[in-house]
Amino acid sequence: MNRTRIIFLLVLLVALGVVAVGLYLRRAGGVEPLIQGPQTLEIRVVCALPVEPFVTEAANRFNAEGHKLEGNLIRVTVIPMDGLTAMSRWERGEMEPFPTVWIPDSRYLVELVNATFKEQRGRDVFLTGGEYRTRPIAISLFAWGIYASRADVLRAKFGDINWSVIHDAATAKGGWPELGGKPEWGYFKLVVPNPNKNVGGLVAMVAAAGEYYKKTSINVADITNPQFQKWLKELMDAVTDFSSLSAYSVENLALFGYSMGDGGQLLESDLLVNMAGIQTRWADPLVIIYPEYITWFDFPYTIWMGEETTALEKNAALEFERYLLQPDIQKLAVQRGLRPANPDVPVTGENSLFERWSSQGVMTVVPRTTAMRSPDREVLLALLRWFDLNVTER
Amino acid sequence: MNPRRTQRSECGCLAASLVGFVSLLALMVAAGFLLYNRITPSSGNEVTLRVGYTPEKAALFETLVTDFERTRPRTPDGKPIRIQATRLDPDTMLSQALRGELDVVSPDSSIWLSQLDDAWYAQGNELPLVGETVRYAVSPVVIAMWEDVARSLGYPDKALGWGDILARAQSDPQFRWSHPSTSSASGLLATLAQFYAGAEKTRGLSEEDVTAPATLNYVGALERTVRYYGEGEWAIIEQVLSRGREYLDAFVAQEQLVIYFNQRSRDKLVAIYPIEGTMWEDHPLALLEKPGVTIGQRQAFRVLSSFLLSHDVQMRILSFGYRPTDLTIALDDPSSPITAANGVDPTQPQTTLQVPSPAVVQVVRDAWYYTKRKTNVYLVADVSGSMEGEKLAQAKEGLLVFLDQIRGPEERVGLIKFSSEVTHLLLLDEMRRNRAALVEQVQALEAGGDTALLDAVEFAYSQLQMLGDSERINAIVVMTDGKENNSRWTLPRLVDKMRRGNQSGVPVVVFCIAYGDDADMATLQEIAEATGGQARRGDPETIGQLYKILSTYF
Repeated sequence: MNRTRIIFLLVLLVALGVVAVGLYLRRAGGVEPLIQGPQTLEIRVVCALPVEPFVTEAANRFNAEGHKLEGNLIRVTVIPMDGLTAMSRWERGEMEPFPTVWIPDSRYLVELVNATFKEQRGRDVFLTGGEYRTRPIAISLFAWGIYASRADVLRAKFGDINWSVIHDAATAKGGWPELGGKPEWGYFKLVVPNPNKNVGGLVAMVAAAGEYYKKTSINVADITNPQFQKWLKELMDAVTDFSSLSAYSVENLALFGYSMGDGGQLLESDLLVNMAGIQTRWADPLVIIYPEYITWFDFPYTIWMGEETTALEKNAALEFERYLLQPDIQKLAVQRGLRPANPDVPVTGENSLFERWSSQGVMTVVPRTTAMRSPDREVLLALLRWFDLNVTER
Repeated sequence: MNPRRTQRSECGCLAASLVGFVSLLALMVAAGFLLYNRITPSSGNEVTLRVGYTPEKAALFETLVTDFERTRPRTPDGKPIRIQATRLDPDTMLSQALRGELDVVSPDSSIWLSQLDDAWYAQGNELPLVGETVRYAVSPVVIAMWEDVARSLGYPDKALGWGDILARAQSDPQFRWSHPSTSSASGLLATLAQFYAGAEKTRGLSEEDVTAPATLNYVGALERTVRYYGEGEWAIIEQVLSRGREYLDAFVAQEQLVIYFNQRSRDKLVAIYPIEGTMWEDHPLALLEKPGVTIGQRQAFRVLSSFLLSHDVQMRILSFGYRPTDLTIALDDPSSPITAANGVDPTQPQTTLQVPSPAVVQVVRDAWYYTKRKTNVYLVADVSGSMEGEKLAQAKEGLLVFLDQIRGPEERVGLIKFSSEVTHLLLLDEMRRNRAALVEQVQALEAGGDTALLDAVEFAYSQLQMLGDSERINAIVVMTDGKENNSRWTLPRLVDKMRRGNQSGVPVVVFCIAYGDDADMATLQEIAEATGGQARRGDPETIGQLYKILSTYF
């Protein structure tokens, strides 16, 4: 071997050594790459809790598939956050790191934030038209979920279960024995999430107001009516725990069983996801009943249109939205008890929770009902204020 | 060219090149080491989570943390995660959390999280301190009772509750029961249940209900039958395990501890799920949203949470007798210890009590000090020559902590010091009258002389027997750092006197603190055991905390 070859071999070995050490250190997270590759487009999605498992699963698939835009790799990160908490953070300017996309529980939350920013910036930051418009990625309704033994007793005494029946049960001074149930069941225990921690709690109160007034649109005068407030307070007094636990709602119903909640009007997808757990943990199964006045979440995919994100990031966000609405991905939503936003995808089929729990009252097609209109900002604030003054401080 | 010269020259060049290459490689390896060391746990590039957890789940939590660290956990961007876990009672945990000394808390109940947020808001903060929260184990609060005692009350045919405990305790002076102080979840929940029972409600407990004379009288009557309190359910179960049936007839604890006991004892406890309703210890793990929480810490919290919620870990949690939060795991799994054989019923509880607002919970805690069984307690302090200097200074701090924790104005405390002789510094009197004098006397303590330990205990014991107050808990808290060397009383005589006195007179319980390595632990143990008390070790660093713990018994 001549000298030139030996030196060449040595240089080659040194180069290999540098690469090996570099790779080792990169794996250990210690140094930056020597040469910058194409830019990675980080898409941060602040996501409502009921759809977060679905969106996270879709994001993991999306990331694994290595989607690119103009040669740049798109990487999606999902940040779970309740809709009301997110709304509060948008309005306080406390979104850190700044999200590219917001998927709140309902479209009306987007409108509320838009209204706030319109005052500050003179324009919408979430669009209602055009390519970047807000679109739902899944839908879920609010339905009654009640332990079967308790539902049987209520039906025997009152007939169909609705807010009025629940109110009567909640105010029965003798508790379950007075209603025809067993003494050891204690008093009737309603499950309503804490509205300060879970937007589902607000929706439950709006739905109750709808039934109380027998109308679909609720205004501030309705909320501040003393008679209604007395009625609502009597209902809320049947909730076992509004402390930290109540952010979980259906999870509580599953984890603590009938000891903590006999039933409540809760998100259908949450009920479906927890149904198996309830049957595993508690001998008494849960039944699902659809109310006359229906409220729902539509989980709108909302791209931030401010200058805090680049045009490329906005377009990358759009790529992920299209991905979420693909039939194969929408089927993942159905498997998590959500109704698909893509009309081509049925709620039935393989692994459909709607089919699996049809014996418990779940319906693939909801019968003709009355749809509640989304509450406006003043109504929400009035309800929250009333809750803080009359329930939290009870 | 001479071929041999050329060969030698090539060899020399090759050797030089090899030396150079090896040197270069060595340099690179050294550089690699240096860089690597910059990212290892010792360098600060790791992510540390300071986690406070409550004592009743120490065995479980410490096991889980060890298992977690064995997985060599890292954040998604590759930084090693280190858990710095500290066992803390809920009050201390809350104080440390408010001071920013913890990143994550895992108390025994979510009740404390509400209290924590309330205290945080009271400091002028607008957003909550308690952030992302998961629950990894739950267990209902029960009344643990010996099976034959439960049967004598009608178990299992009749559903039992707080009313049955009261009736039995009032009709049978020999019946001994206990619940921990309100500084633990089971103690607080038991106290809440008593206030509900006193107000004849199962929900909607208000401040007016709590402070109504009828409620206070009811709770007071119930509390007067409590033997004494304690730092928590874990301490009670350890005592019951070591002393068996003579210690207590019934006590409040989470269900898991009934299983824990029955797996280790031939005697059997059963869990009574009070018919009026109970509550759950839900063992939350909460990230604290204090200023400066880093993305790394958020990620580390997620990694830890995912670990705790993973199926295998949840099965391990079940094996400890907790109900796992993974709902795919059935409580009647073949490996589940939640069985009738272990004295528990997985279909219970049927109903829970309504958790009042944090404000009402605070009123209950305050009102409890007025309803709880009152105490006559003598503090007996060693001021012999060996206590001089820092040792005495720390012991004085500890005594002051103890006095600070005794909040009720009607509690009676007296002070005795001993060295070569015994000096009765302050007569037993109500704290509303002698708190200032006690503080003054403690601050004035000076060291010197020998150790008349037995005479001092005998003197305090005789004082309490002469008082003959059976309504109250009668107790002595004695601390010494040395060996007995100046008493007229001998240990066998003293033990005999206390044993006989406790049977014929009022029961007096002695708690002993062996302060430092030179203290005679064997003697102190014998004194404590003769009265159903406890002996503990302390040192200048821990003496304050030890006095604080002992104060929870009164």
